Amino acid sequence: MSDHATDNDSGDGGASPPPSAVYFDGLSNRRHVVSLAFNDGLEIHEDDGTLARWSYADIRRVDSPAGILRVTCLAAPALARLEIRDAGAAEHMTSRCPKMDENLADRRGIAAIIAWSLAAAISIIAVVLWGVPLAADRLTPLVPQSLERRLGDVADSQVKTVFGGKVCDHAPGQAAFTKLVNAVRESAGLDTSVQSAVMSNPIPNAFALPGGKVYVFDGLLAKADNADEIAGILAHELGHLSHRDSTRNLIYNGGTSFLVGLLFGDVIGSGALIFASRSLLTASYSREAEQNADTFSSM
Amino acid sequence: MNEMKWTPLGPPSPSPLPPPLSVPVAFSGDRGEFFRLVRRGAALEFVTLGFYRFWLVTDIRRHLWSNTQIDGDAAEYTGRGKELLIGFLFALAILVPIYLLYFLAGLEAERHQAFAGLPLIAFFYLLGQFAIYRARRYRLTRTVWRGVRFWMDGSGWSYAGRATLWGLLTVSTLGLALPWREAALERHKMRHSWYGDLQGRFEGQGLEFFKQGWWLWLLAPVAIVVFPLAPFFYAAFKAVQWRWWLSGIRFGGVQLESTLRRGALHGLYWKVIGWALLLSTVFGLYVFGCTMLVANVSGATFEQTIGPSGISQSIPVLILTAIGYLALALALGVVTRLYLMRDLWVRVLASTTVRNIAAAANVSSRGTPASALGEGFADGLDVAGF
Repeated sequence: MSDHATDNDSGDGGASPPPSAVYFDGLSNRRHVVSLAFNDGLEIHEDDGTLARWSYADIRRVDSPAGILRVTCLAAPALARLEIRDAGAAEHMTSRCPKMDENLADRRGIAAIIAWSLAAAISIIAVVLWGVPLAADRLTPLVPQSLERRLGDVADSQVKTVFGGKVCDHAPGQAAFTKLVNAVRESAGLDTSVQSAVMSNPIPNAFALPGGKVYVFDGLLAKADNADEIAGILAHELGHLSHRDSTRNLIYNGGTSFLVGLLFGDVIGSGALIFASRSLLTASYSREAEQNADTFSSM
Repeated sequence: MNEMKWTPLGPPSPSPLPPPLSVPVAFSGDRGEFFRLVRRGAALEFVTLGFYRFWLVTDIRRHLWSNTQIDGDAAEYTGRGKELLIGFLFALAILVPIYLLYFLAGLEAERHQAFAGLPLIAFFYLLGQFAIYRARRYRLTRTVWRGVRFWMDGSGWSYAGRATLWGLLTVSTLGLALPWREAALERHKMRHSWYGDLQGRFEGQGLEFFKQGWWLWLLAPVAIVVFPLAPFFYAAFKAVQWRWWLSGIRFGGVQLESTLRRGALHGLYWKVIGWALLLSTVFGLYVFGCTMLVANVSGATFEQTIGPSGISQSIPVLILTAIGYLALALALGVVTRLYLMRDLWVRVLASTTVRNIAAAANVSSRGTPASALGEGFADGLDVAGF
């Protein structure tokens, strides 16, 4: 078949070969079986009429199955298509159209995608490392106490649901505990909005909620040798309160997980990956908060 | 310019034979080429930390579309990766304030009762359905056959409302209403789908789907208990669903028909499961190896390594694990795309015939390309689509 492409005229043969060029004008889906004339421009003929005349510089390759050359023309309707199934004719066409492959993604296009992606990734990491902690530090004092207390209420009801919600109310113990808390609180210079309670739970732990709630698990009380140890822990937790660490953490964690999620998108719904990278990034940050709380408690 | 002329030989157009009543749908793509495409895509996703996904999904569609031939002419996908990226950024700009509002509304609700914020997730279901409709519209308007595009009208919110109500009904009937949900939603989508000036419609009936698959619904509790059976059931369900869906599609007088066997997809799902098990095992060994290596270098004992604050939590191990996890996920992506996109596509197409294609012989072009916002939402909300 390839020799037909260079034939000046179709003089030989009475056998009818399969039609080798098919044209769709982009306005209707009628299938035109056409003949091509390579003159100053590409001429597309059907029977006796000329359907279209395309300038070689405007012809662009589009997707096609293997073995078919499919092109369009910038000056034609957007979906006008010419399909050449004859290898020789396709080769002839390719050699005449200098900008045929200009639309296709090449190595430079992919290099640009990689470069921009890495730039985006680096800027996101930089924002997470320096921008978000700074924003958290600056925003925390702006969060009104009322909103913080509201956050604390939410956390409070969740904590109570998770840990069974049993607050110890043994009167003498409660009185001694309140006395201890007040002593620590006054020496720390915090106001009376601080509330604290002992929760019935064997885990030796204590934590501060935003808005001024401090919980101590009775597992910790059982483990402590004397009141001073408890006072030390309370001072540490009040340090968190005084620095408004839970609010800062909330802003920091929210911002970080949003940005890291942005970075990875849904490569594969990579929740675990996001979690891992977040714990990496937040580890250093919370270590600093713990140190600050310790410094506060020793003052 | 030297004058050259190239014409097909013989009489220009021999009087065409009457077109056959039904024509098969052919797929001409090379499997090795598709594999190289997704492997290279996964490598680029690794390098770009996932940003390449927009271009990869575009390349996959271009390959699948342009090798799908109906009545001798191949389709074409005209979407581009950059459009998907822009759609994603737009969707993000809309989703971020919504997430913030969601957070604040959840806070208010939680004040009154712990975990009362959970029903707000229903809102994201609605948004996800909106995304599905709009993403379908984007893909359809990028689908071209014989120089004429497919397109869609209708409102994404109207679809999302229907889908959500049908979803509630399906949940409250323990899945029994699913066939009728599928039929109603498909009727809605197809009524708003066009090929040029040829309007689509869906003729599948919920009852028909139910008749073909009711035993799966009965056996579903068994699959929950004896979970190795679940892939069999799921593969059978998907095969029944594909067959029913394709056989209901109409565009004007053109009808589609599928003869997909019920067992046609079992092999594909089991191959994916086999690969997933193998790759997870390799990942497990890799993490163990990394932990031991770091422990060796730092000279810690076994107890120090495994303990709650031991080496297994240290930063080098976490970084190595994250890299391994990313590689695992991307390898799973290659496997899934090869079997559940390409091979599934080929099997489903091989079962499909088009009847009365002559009814689509002279269709006028209509419709314009839709924006990729829906695809962006679908990406941001993690709702699936081709």
